[in-house]
Amino acid sequence: MKAVFLFNFAQFVEWPPQSFEDAAAPFVIGVLGTDPFGSALEGAVRGETLNGRSFVVERYRSVTEIRHCQVLFISRSEAARVEEIRAALAGRSILTVSDIEDPAQRGVMIRFVAENNRIRLRINADAAKAVGLSISSKLLRPAELVTSAG
Amino acid sequence: MSSGHTPIRRKLMTMILLTSGAVLLLTSASFVAHEFLTFRYSTVRNLSTLGQVIATNSTAALAFDNAKDAAEILTALKAEPHVVSAGLYNSAGQLFATYPQGLKSGGFPPMPGADGYRFEDHFLVGFQPVLMGQRRLGTLFLKSDLGALFDWLRLFGGIAAAVIAASFLLAYLISRSLQRQISEPILALAQTAEAVSRGRDYSVRAAPAQGHELRLLTDGFNHMLERTQAQLSRLDLLQKITRAIGERQDPASIFQVVLQRLEDDMPIEFGCICLHEAQDDYLIARTIGARSIPAAAAMGIADHTHIPIDDNGISKCLRGHLVYEPDVREVPFPLPQRLAAGGFRSLVIAPLLIESNVFGMLIASRREADAFTSGDCEFLRQVSEHVALATQQAQLYGALQRAYDDLRQSQQTALQQERLRALGQMASGIAHDINNAISPVALYTESLLEREPNLSERTRSYLVTIQRAIEDVAETVARMREFYRPREPQIVLGRIHINRAVQQIIELTRARWSDVAQQRGIMIDLRTELADDLPDLMGAESEVRDALTNLIFNAVDAMPNGGILTLRTALAGPQRVCLEVSDTGLGMDEETRRRCLEPFYTTKGERGTGLGLAMVYGMIQRHSAELEIASEPGKGTTMRLIFTLSVPDTSTSGLVPVLVPTQSPLRILLVDDDPILLQSLRDTLEGDGHLITAASGGQAGIDAFTAAVAGGTPFDVVVTDLGMPYVDGRKVAAKVRAVSPTVPIVMLTGWGQRLVADEEVPPHVDRVLNKPPRLAELREILAELTA
Repeated sequence: MKAVFLFNFAQFVEWPPQSFEDAAAPFVIGVLGTDPFGSALEGAVRGETLNGRSFVVERYRSVTEIRHCQVLFISRSEAARVEEIRAALAGRSILTVSDIEDPAQRGVMIRFVAENNRIRLRINADAAKAVGLSISSKLLRPAELVTSAG
Repeated sequence: MSSGHTPIRRKLMTMILLTSGAVLLLTSASFVAHEFLTFRYSTVRNLSTLGQVIATNSTAALAFDNAKDAAEILTALKAEPHVVSAGLYNSAGQLFATYPQGLKSGGFPPMPGADGYRFEDHFLVGFQPVLMGQRRLGTLFLKSDLGALFDWLRLFGGIAAAVIAASFLLAYLISRSLQRQISEPILALAQTAEAVSRGRDYSVRAAPAQGHELRLLTDGFNHMLERTQAQLSRLDLLQKITRAIGERQDPASIFQVVLQRLEDDMPIEFGCICLHEAQDDYLIARTIGARSIPAAAAMGIADHTHIPIDDNGISKCLRGHLVYEPDVREVPFPLPQRLAAGGFRSLVIAPLLIESNVFGMLIASRREADAFTSGDCEFLRQVSEHVALATQQAQLYGALQRAYDDLRQSQQTALQQERLRALGQMASGIAHDINNAISPVALYTESLLEREPNLSERTRSYLVTIQRAIEDVAETVARMREFYRPREPQIVLGRIHINRAVQQIIELTRARWSDVAQQRGIMIDLRTELADDLPDLMGAESEVRDALTNLIFNAVDAMPNGGILTLRTALAGPQRVCLEVSDTGLGMDEETRRRCLEPFYTTKGERGTGLGLAMVYGMIQRHSAELEIASEPGKGTTMRLIFTLSVPDTSTSGLVPVLVPTQSPLRILLVDDDPILLQSLRDTLEGDGHLITAASGGQAGIDAFTAAVAGGTPFDVVVTDLGMPYVDGRKVAAKVRAVSPTVPIVMLTGWGQRLVADEEVPPHVDRVLNKPPRLAELREILAELTA
C-alpha cells in the first residue's frame, strides 16, 4: 500500500525542472536504508509514465549515494540518522517520505501514520515549499498538515 | 343581425381561429420539443460537469484510500437538490463512499456500469470515471431525479398554454373585426338578394363594397339586377304591345299603337313603319309615331313618302335581317343620312316578316349614338315579329270580313229576290183584278170623249183627266212586276214636256196635298218655280209622272204640320234638266237617308209600302238620270232628279190625235168572265157598229163559237180574256182554232206585259192586248186582222 502511495505522490506534487538531469531523465523513486517494500514498489511503477518520463526505483544505503531523485522514502532503519540525512539533502528538490514515528517530524515532508488499520498522511507543506516543491491541494485534503515548528 | 346570417361569420371566424390555432400549436409543440431536448441535454451536461468536478476532486481521496474525505467531497452535492444519490467505487469496483451518507448500499448498483449518462426510469444516472493522469482510480456514480425537467416542463407548458390562450383570444378579436370586411358585404349582398326575391323588386341595388373581388361581385350582382329589370320592363312592354295589338284588327291602327307604345315606354325618339311591295325599289312610309311626326316632317318623311332602298341597311333588312347602325353619320346611304340630318344617331331597322317575305320594316331611332343595346335590338325584333303576325291576321280578318259581308249581301239579295218574287206573284193577281176593274172606266171614258161632241168643256176636261188617271193606273199595275223582274226589256220612250207634266201631276194629286190636308186641318202651300223654254225630255211619261207623284206624296207625308211644297224645274247645265221636289218637313236622319231607296224600307209604318222611292229610283236608273237627296232632320228634304237629254227623237210628240176609223161592221165574239168588262167592251164596240156576241166565261165562249159556225154565221174575230176560271183563254183559243183555222183571235190579259215576257204570244193567238184595253188600240188591231 505504501509503495502505491509513493507512486501516487508523483501525481500530486510538482517538481522544478532542474531536479531532473535532463528532459528525458526518468522519474526516480528512491529508498534509503532497509527496503520494506520488496518488489511491491517495482510492481506499482511498472509500465507507468508521467509527463513522458518513465519511473525508476533506486535503493540507497547511504545518503551520499543519492544523485538524482524525486521521491525519497527514508526507511525506519535510518531513524537515527534523520537529522544527518536532512542536512545532507538540504536545498535539494526531493520529496522526503517516511514512516518513522517522530512527533516533530523533523526533516521529513510526508509521514505515513497508521491509524485504525488505515494509513493516514501527515504533510509538512512548508518544508516541501522550501525546496521548490508544490504540493497539490488535492493531496493536502486527505492529509493532516504540520509545520516544521510543530 | 338575425341568426340566419351567422353561418358565414362563424365559418370565417372558425377558419381564422383554426388556422391560427394550428399554427400556434405546431409552433408551441416544436418549441417545447426543442426546449425539452435542449433542457435534457443541458441537464445531462450539468450532471456530467458536476460528475467531472467531483471525480477530479475525488482522485486524492481514492488515490490515498481516504473514504472519509471522499464522503466529504460527495457531501458537496447537497447544493444540487436533484441529485438523489451518489457513490464512489474504487478501482476494484467496490463501493468506497456514498451520498447521502446514511443511504444503504442497496440503493446503488453493485458494480459500476458503463461510463456515461443515461435516463433510466425517471432518473438520470451516470458513471463518471475518476482518472489520475492515465490511471483509473475508480468510478463516480450519480443519480439525479428529473424534477427540474418536470418543473421546467410544467412551467413551460403553463406559459405555452397561457400564450396560446392569449393568442387565441387575440385571434378571435382580430378575426371578429376582419371577417366583417368579408362577411358584411356578402351578408349585405345576401340581404339584397333576399329582398329582391321576396319583394320581386328588381330596382333594389346592393351597396358598393370595399375590396376588388367584393366590388366585382356587387357590381356583377347589380349589373345582373339591372339587366333583369330591363328584361322585365321589356317583357311588360311586349305584353302591353301584344295586348294592344290583339284588340285591333286593322293594320294602320296596329302600327299606330305599337309606335305609340315604343315611343312612350321603351322609349325611342323616332319610330316609323314602312311597307314594301315585292316589285318596288322603295319603301312607303305608312305610319309615323305620333311623337315622331314633327321630326319626320323636318326630315321630309310623311305618310306615303317613298324611301329609296339603299345598298346597305334597308336591303339587308329586306333579306330578313335586323339592322343596327350605332352611328348613322358614318353610313353613306339615303335613309341614315336623312336621319343624321334630323339629329338622330343610332338606328335600328327590324323586318316585318310573313313567311320569309319582308312586307315592311319597323324603323326606330335615338338621338344618341350607340344607344341601342343588344337587348333593345332583340326586343325590337320580337316586337316586329308580333306586328308582322298581327298584320297578317288583320289582313286575313279583313278578307274574312269582306267574304262574310259579300256572303251576307248575297244572302240578303237572294232573300230580297225571293220576297220580290212572292210579291210579284201576288202583284200579278192584283194587277189582273185591277185591270179588269178599270177596263170599263177606260173604255167608257174613251167612248164618251169620242162620241159625245156635245160635252161641256169642263166635262171633257174631267174625262181627259179620268182617262189619264186610268192609263197611269194601268201602267202602275204593269210596272209592279218590275220588282221581281228588274230589267225592263222595253220602255216606250216619248217626248215629255216637263213643265206640262208637272202641272198635270199637281192636278192629279190635288186631292192629296190640298183636300186631304185641309180635312186634317193643316195647310200645305204648293209653289212652283218652273223655268221657261226647257227642252223636252225623252222618256216614259207615265213613269216620270209616277215618280213625281210619289215624291209629292212623300213630301206631304213629311209635313204633318203643314209647310211649303215646292216643285222646281231648271236647266242644270248643257243638255241637263233638273226637277226638284222640296218640302219643309221633318227631314231624314243619316240612316234613313242612306236606306230610303231600299225596297220595303219605310218610315210610315203601316201606311207605307216602302216601294215609293224604290220605284222612283227604278225610273231614274231606266232613264239614266241622277237622283240627289239633300235632307237634314227638322229642315226638310229636297229630292233632285237630273235628266240628261239624249238625241232628240223625231217621232211625233204628245197625244196622238184620236181618229175614229171607218170600219166595216164585224161579227165579234167577246169572251170574258167579268160581266162589267164584258158589258163595257160590248157597248164601246157596238158603238163602232160591230155585231157583238158576249160569252160569259170560257166554256160559254166555245159553245157560242161552235154554235155560230154550225149555224152558218161564223164570227169574224174572237176577243177572249186570258185568265178565266175553269176554261181559260188559251183553251178557248185552242178550241176556236180547232174549229176555224183562220178566224183571228185577240187575247186580252190583265197580267199585262208579263205574258209577253214570259211566254211570248200563246199558241193560236194572233194578238195580245193588255187590260184595260184602249179603244184606239183595239180598233187598230181589228182593222189590221180583218184587212
